[in-house]
Amino acid sequence: MTKKPSLDSKKIKYYLITFIFLASIFTFVNTSPIFADDLKSPAFEIQMSTINITGGDKSSTSYKLSDTVGQTFQGQFNSTGYVILAGFQYINTLTPFSFKISNLAINFGSLVPGTPSLLSNTLTVTTGSAFGYSVKAIEDHPLQISNGSITIPDTACDLATPCLPTDANVWSDNTRYGFGYNMSGTDVDTTDFVNANYFRPFPVQNIDNPVVVMSRGNIATSSAATVSYKLNVSGSQAAGTYQNSIQYIAIPSF
Amino acid sequence: MNSLHIHHNKKERRFAGSAQYRAQDAPPVAGRAMSTVIGVLPKTREKIITATKAIFLALLYIAFLSLATKDVYAADYGLSVTPPLLRVHIKPGKSITQVFTLNNLGQGDQTLVARIVPFTEADHQGNPVLNPKSTAPWLSYFSLANSTVKFNEPFTITSGATEQLILSLTVPDNAPLEDIYATLMISTYANSVDQGFQGTQLAATIGSNMLITISSVAFPDTILKIENFTPQANSLIKIGDLYFADSITPLTFTADVRNDGDFTAETKGVFRITRGSTPVYLEGILPVNVIGKSSRQLVNTDGQPFSFTPSLSQIGPHQITLEIKTDNSNTAASFTIVFLPLKLLLGLLVAVLIIVISVKLTTYYPKESVDIYKSE
Repeated sequence: MTKKPSLDSKKIKYYLITFIFLASIFTFVNTSPIFADDLKSPAFEIQMSTINITGGDKSSTSYKLSDTVGQTFQGQFNSTGYVILAGFQYINTLTPFSFKISNLAINFGSLVPGTPSLLSNTLTVTTGSAFGYSVKAIEDHPLQISNGSITIPDTACDLATPCLPTDANVWSDNTRYGFGYNMSGTDVDTTDFVNANYFRPFPVQNIDNPVVVMSRGNIATSSAATVSYKLNVSGSQAAGTYQNSIQYIAIPSF
Repeated sequence: MNSLHIHHNKKERRFAGSAQYRAQDAPPVAGRAMSTVIGVLPKTREKIITATKAIFLALLYIAFLSLATKDVYAADYGLSVTPPLLRVHIKPGKSITQVFTLNNLGQGDQTLVARIVPFTEADHQGNPVLNPKSTAPWLSYFSLANSTVKFNEPFTITSGATEQLILSLTVPDNAPLEDIYATLMISTYANSVDQGFQGTQLAATIGSNMLITISSVAFPDTILKIENFTPQANSLIKIGDLYFADSITPLTFTADVRNDGDFTAETKGVFRITRGSTPVYLEGILPVNVIGKSSRQLVNTDGQPFSFTPSLSQIGPHQITLEIKTDNSNTAASFTIVFLPLKLLLGLLVAVLIIVISVKLTTYYPKESVDIYKSE
């Protein structure tokens, strides 16, 4: 003896209609306010029309604006023949743009063939009243013997993972020789320097353009990045003292 | 235990001897003490004299070093410059001066060189592409009014000290009306390297950008165009020129602005979202400089892409607009996004399914159990 299972279609319809009805009410009742009045306030009108004597930041829950002091520019230019604007009008700070390097002398001393030498220093940038910056690097030439023309080549990284001045890659094979660098820390392209095994060779002056090693598109306060310099020489490398110079160029954005 | 004990005895003897010596002589003057020692210990006389001489010479050497040498620090570098940007509008035949302040933040003195390096290009973030080999004729417009500091000549700032570079810009009467872009670069200066040093000697340069407009009018013509204004979201659907997006998912928008003119323009304006004629969201554009014949990314006042999170009620077509209004040029770009309650509908669908299944389960009557033993 079995009893035929049944779906109460009336009940389902009832639940469904009730749910949709409640959801619809919720949707239209739970609305956020529209700020048409605020947007038509004097502050808003100032931004998009001619600005006379006002300035600074304006904000509410629906908008953020920054405007400038206006019409004195035209009058001043006509009367004096010039107008000077020093700094950025939208950054309210007098902090200067600064650049620091923790150590200018990367002295590897005696080298052991096949055993990489690693040294590091720190670059620190504060944009102050600038809005963004970049630090670029370039070397005068590969490490070169001081009284001759023999060089230690810039690294090409591992055979299977070649690197370029603009493209870091893995350099972990101690039978691959050369000079390169890794970067880590703030404002470093970590999509390129994935980890401490990723290296690049420095670009060479008169051959390459300087490459960006740190950058930021807005305000930086003591952004610090560590540069790790790696040098690995072969047993056949001629004895001598090898030297070069690397220049770091820190320029604010405009 | 024995060794400790022996050691203890030795110490006791030494102190005992010392106490004995002081008790016997106690000379108030060192010379007398020395003569007394010599008298008391004639066998070690020469050794004591030699040791005394050595100590005296060592003290003399240390005193000499401390007076004759300066403090030595690790070769670090630190320099600041202000202002980081100089924007000048100037008529031909006029001159201006601007002071750039340098502060040596390093622990040692720094020898530096200042120079002007032109640039004509920049990346999308406003970082100049410097051209140090350029010999632009307008480089002669710049000079330093300092009495001691000249371009391309080394000067020194002591640790913690400040130096002011008084930059003079003199535009000749017959100067062409154009924009000139340059960076005041201050570089470390070294004319010799230790021959025993093996490795890399670092040099550092810091700069300040100068955007100079030479014009007879305050606002020369600029031609700005907004490019690549698009929403960035994975959940967007594009059909023709229309975008369809979920009504509660945050959206970000990216855009570039191109300056086809010859003079620098500033990106003053707003990012606006309207429904019909009603504005629902407004955000300021970061006012940055776009040099002539270049492009630049447009961002909000936080330096981030524009973003908008619609609410549940914001359903239907919305106009997304970027408007830039400079002193002599206006430009705008817009497109339409239709916000649909996609996630809400999906949630409703899931909820309905759950309800249906629940109703099914609660109204399902299984077959009556059969007592097989009974039937047998």
